[in-house]
Amino acid sequence: MNPEHIGSSRRGLREWLVQRLTALYMAGFVVYAIVYFSFRPPLSFEQWHGWFAAGPVRAAVGLFCLSVLVHGWIGVRSVFLDYLKPLWVRFTASVAVAVAFIGLGLWLIELLVGAGGWR
Amino acid sequence: MHQFKKNRPVYLNLFRIHLPVGGVVSIAHRVTGVLLVLVLPLLVYMLQLSLSGEEGFRRVAGILSQPSSRIAVLATLAFFALHFFAGIRHLLLDIDVGIDRPSARRSAWLVVGVTALVVVVAGVGLL
Repeated sequence: MNPEHIGSSRRGLREWLVQRLTALYMAGFVVYAIVYFSFRPPLSFEQWHGWFAAGPVRAAVGLFCLSVLVHGWIGVRSVFLDYLKPLWVRFTASVAVAVAFIGLGLWLIELLVGAGGWR
Repeated sequence: MHQFKKNRPVYLNLFRIHLPVGGVVSIAHRVTGVLLVLVLPLLVYMLQLSLSGEEGFRRVAGILSQPSSRIAVLATLAFFALHFFAGIRHLLLDIDVGIDRPSARRSAWLVVGVTALVVVVAGVGLL
């Protein structure tokens, strides 16, 4: 058996890296959004909706939402790995959070891609 | 040898262990991260409502003008600010910036200070 397929250290390294890359993207996006909205506060539905309707913004918001979910999932997982000791408790809690996160993801997809905000 | 290990003092009274400020910031980073995850569904709901139409937008504006929700917004902002600044500190520590003890201590205090400043400024604006 190829030893590369048994260890989980690579997975840990990948999670570590993904956690930091998503952090950098989210930080950049948040700073951009704060600067943008402090110059053009969304005072009406038209302005607010118009901002989201633009293609690049929608893509950037979508990537932001994905980053939040991935970043949050890795964070919650590492907290569970540290504090939830009996394996079944950790497993149950992880499944519950995973279901919740998938639900949030689908909700956001519906919101950003589907009819939700663009009727 | 065996007995040696058995007689080690175990002292885990968290109120008596004096955690350095870096440790406090590190734990606060985790706690605020979990809190922000818990706030997520509410944020997605508000986003959906605000984009659902003229009526939904006005409802969100109405909700956000309530004093109680302004406190909630301020609390969420405080969690976010601490998580944000502590996160940047950790990213810098990862690439060995400010890794020596005096600098790390100073940057931890800076995280606390900047977070407090953001909360005060936002609080003045919101409340």
